[in-house]
Amino acid sequence: MFDFDYTFHWITVWNVFPEMLSAAMVTIEVAVTSMIVGLFFAVFLSLGKDSSNELFRTPSIIWIEIARNTPALFQIYMAYFGLGAFGIHLSPYLAVMIALIFNNAGYLAETLRGGFASIPRTQLASSRSLGMTAFQAYRHIILPQVFKVVYHPMTNQMIWSILMTSLGTLVGMLELTGKTDQLQSLSFRTFEFYLVAAVMYFVIAKGTLLLAKLLAYKIFKGDA
Amino acid sequence: MNIVKKLAFLAVSVLAFGATSASADKLDKILSKGKIRCGVVLDFPPMGYRDAKNNPAGFDVEYCKDLAKALGVKLELKSMSFAQRLPALNAGKVDVVIGSTSDTLQRAKSAGFTMPYFVFKLQAMVKKDSGIKEFKDLKGKKVTAALSTTPETEFLKNSKANGWSASNYFSSKKESDTHLALLQGKADAIITTDTTIVELLKLPKYKDYKAGPFVPGFDDFVSIIVKRTEYGMINYMNLFIHQQVRSGRYKELNKMFYGNSPVRKLTVDGIYY
Repeated sequence: MFDFDYTFHWITVWNVFPEMLSAAMVTIEVAVTSMIVGLFFAVFLSLGKDSSNELFRTPSIIWIEIARNTPALFQIYMAYFGLGAFGIHLSPYLAVMIALIFNNAGYLAETLRGGFASIPRTQLASSRSLGMTAFQAYRHIILPQVFKVVYHPMTNQMIWSILMTSLGTLVGMLELTGKTDQLQSLSFRTFEFYLVAAVMYFVIAKGTLLLAKLLAYKIFKGDA
Repeated sequence: MNIVKKLAFLAVSVLAFGATSASADKLDKILSKGKIRCGVVLDFPPMGYRDAKNNPAGFDVEYCKDLAKALGVKLELKSMSFAQRLPALNAGKVDVVIGSTSDTLQRAKSAGFTMPYFVFKLQAMVKKDSGIKEFKDLKGKKVTAALSTTPETEFLKNSKANGWSASNYFSSKKESDTHLALLQGKADAIITTDTTIVELLKLPKYKDYKAGPFVPGFDDFVSIIVKRTEYGMINYMNLFIHQQVRSGRYKELNKMFYGNSPVRKLTVDGIYY
């Protein structure tokens, strides 16, 4: 029979809620930073994968394939304990950051590649024939159009990035999940702490989606 | 009239049902089912670990077996992590947890604690040539302990009291991750229980390491835990723990898992439990 006899003690959570909030800030900080830096690398990776130059193509393909076809958890372990085996000791924070940049870059590269593929090749040629440099052509003609195509898939990756930070606790990083784990162990109020953390993740993710929608409305003037 | 009869019948059956279910506590249920589900943590040798044949072994596992024997029921062992102990109890996955649970007043608001069944000292493990002799030598050193454990809590408490920078401490997810961090040189010292250090130092890969200073002023008494409301179980297990010592079984298990080191006293001077 279903017997639920548990009395919730929410006060235990509220007493240390500021600590959870600052841990949530760490979560957002890592997710956003790894997304921005990841995007930077993704531009080069996506161009690299389609490049005819072996020197660019091979490393790009290796990066993208590993990032997309191995678990993020494995990538975090490699950055922490894997590099540690070679005497490179990153803090949990830095290890998670680097692993997530690596992961985000791999996924975003494929998203961007799809975006680039959706722009007819002839546009680049036409831009160049109008006297633009390659950089100008990308900056003014290609990238703005690609941006529109990849915007929504990128929002998804952002949410994914936020949720992936929770894996950081597995190398001892005190982001929202890790901090929650630490706090609940002091009082054993496990249900309360994890429920609050879950709600916080939900709010962060939903808030991000809402923000992305508002931004899209502003940037694309409602036609995206 | 018919309706009144029905209502009366309903009322009586609710009362009767309520009465029986209220009086059948966990102890009754364990006895009537003929089985106890005992939670143990198996990455904490020699309290809990897996032997060469991958079977659960250790002090806590023996205590589970003894408890089942005392109750005259079958034993079902359930392996869990430290973090899962309380949720497992509250979700009804296990009946008791014998898993070196430190008996803090804060935690006793959430779980039912027996009298202590074992006691640890919290201690640092360091490299032989690290020059770390006293606890204060850990200032400025990279230190790690397992996340959400008493060694972590107590080290941070001392570190804060001494005004040391928090940035030199980092958490590890699991006890075994702290060992790896020490071996890789990520950490200059790990904080764990004295018993764990004795076990680790038996392994050849720790030949350059030694037991370091103790975390001052703290005896880590640990209890068997059940749901907070299970007084019948707590009462039974208090007697069980007492009898384990009286019968010599406690001493026997100390010898089995800790060799010739002195048998740990479960008393504090000046007060009854």
